[in-house]
Amino acid sequence: MFKHIWFKELRERFYTWKGTLWLVIASLVFSLVSYLLLTDKELSLLDQTEMMWMLAKVIIGTGILIVTIDASSIITDEFEKETAESLFLSPIRMRDFVLGKLLASLTLWLFIFIVSIPYIIVTSVGTHLLLPFLFYVFLLGTLGVLGFIMFIFSISLLFRSSKNTLTTSLIILLAIAIPALFPAMLKNNSLAAILSKANPIDNMFSSLDNVLVDYKASLFNNWQFIFPLVLFCLITFVFLVYVIKHFKLAGVVKNE
Amino acid sequence: MNNSNISAKKLFTLALLGSFIILRMSYCHAQQRTANRSLTLSIISEKTLSGTAGDYVTVQSQINNSGSQSLSDITTYMSLVDESNKTPVDLEDWSAEKGLYIGTIDSGQTLPLNWKIHFVKAGKYSLIIVAEIDGQEIPQVSTIVHFTVKPKRNLNPGQVLPVALGTPIVVLFIILLLNYKRNLHKSG
Repeated sequence: MFKHIWFKELRERFYTWKGTLWLVIASLVFSLVSYLLLTDKELSLLDQTEMMWMLAKVIIGTGILIVTIDASSIITDEFEKETAESLFLSPIRMRDFVLGKLLASLTLWLFIFIVSIPYIIVTSVGTHLLLPFLFYVFLLGTLGVLGFIMFIFSISLLFRSSKNTLTTSLIILLAIAIPALFPAMLKNNSLAAILSKANPIDNMFSSLDNVLVDYKASLFNNWQFIFPLVLFCLITFVFLVYVIKHFKLAGVVKNE
Repeated sequence: MNNSNISAKKLFTLALLGSFIILRMSYCHAQQRTANRSLTLSIISEKTLSGTAGDYVTVQSQINNSGSQSLSDITTYMSLVDESNKTPVDLEDWSAEKGLYIGTIDSGQTLPLNWKIHFVKAGKYSLIIVAEIDGQEIPQVSTIVHFTVKPKRNLNPGQVLPVALGTPIVVLFIILLLNYKRNLHKSG
């Protein structure tokens, strides 16, 4: 049954400007960044691997931001447009409903990743890092995006309002992303080091640094960064399951 | 009389002891200087050192013991100075090999000393090789080699331009095609 929800969402999104405009915006951002990195006289003095690292951060950052904005309304729209009542009265289980929406949001990330592939190829010309670059952007991005989507869906079911969900999601995204952009010297004290190890975005950027700048491309060398991301996904999954189990139809379905 | 004899003897003994110590120190110092003089360091790849930032080059040098005795426990290392900023360079990013240890170098023997270095930053640099012999106060240094690292520009508009312009156009084209298909489907 989740396939029905998933394909319905894809049809709604990719047959309209609303869903597809994100891909144009993403490709414009990637074009601007890669063009500046490869043509600006000052930026072009950077080591090529550092340029690849910067582009990888931009791809994952743009992907998470777009998916966060999109996922904030994918469930709450059903409540606000009052289509949720007919959905929940049909024989669709809540689990299938959420899974279908989750796959639709993940598909958006997949399309953003596909759009980024030409930029990844052109930036890594002359290095042997094309495959690790592609693999780690996809792996780390997918884990990060999956965790964020599950968290956003949980608060969507709690708030039932796009505005509140979007505001909360963006504030949390900013709160996590800003410390990840701090230089390493600011993460020297023990509290900052612990927060940095727990921060999913920090782990994604550190793993990319490990792969692209330090040439440590094996999964074994990156396990210390991937494990916290897997943990982040598990925690948000448990939170989502808890919210689904305690979700009340009162206010959505009349006479409930 | 006896007292003056004793003082003269003491003075004589002290003078003898002092002379011995001075002679011994001079001998040791001379031995160190001889050891240092007998050890020569030379950088033989000075002509090929210049390059572009990002290049990996090998600093080829050699150590020669022209003395009559073998020398042991010699630690050799590179020292790099940024001539533009007048500061020594931290070799952390430049070379994985911090120093090369020589257990023993026989009399008349020449050993190669090779360091692979990564030109990290553009600029003018000077390089010397230093050798420290265990138990000796004065190290031996090579002559200074000056070299220039040219800046590397990763400019490639020929490759990035079609991608930077083409990808958004292709994405836009696909979206328009999907919309056209949907409109056709609706009107059909």
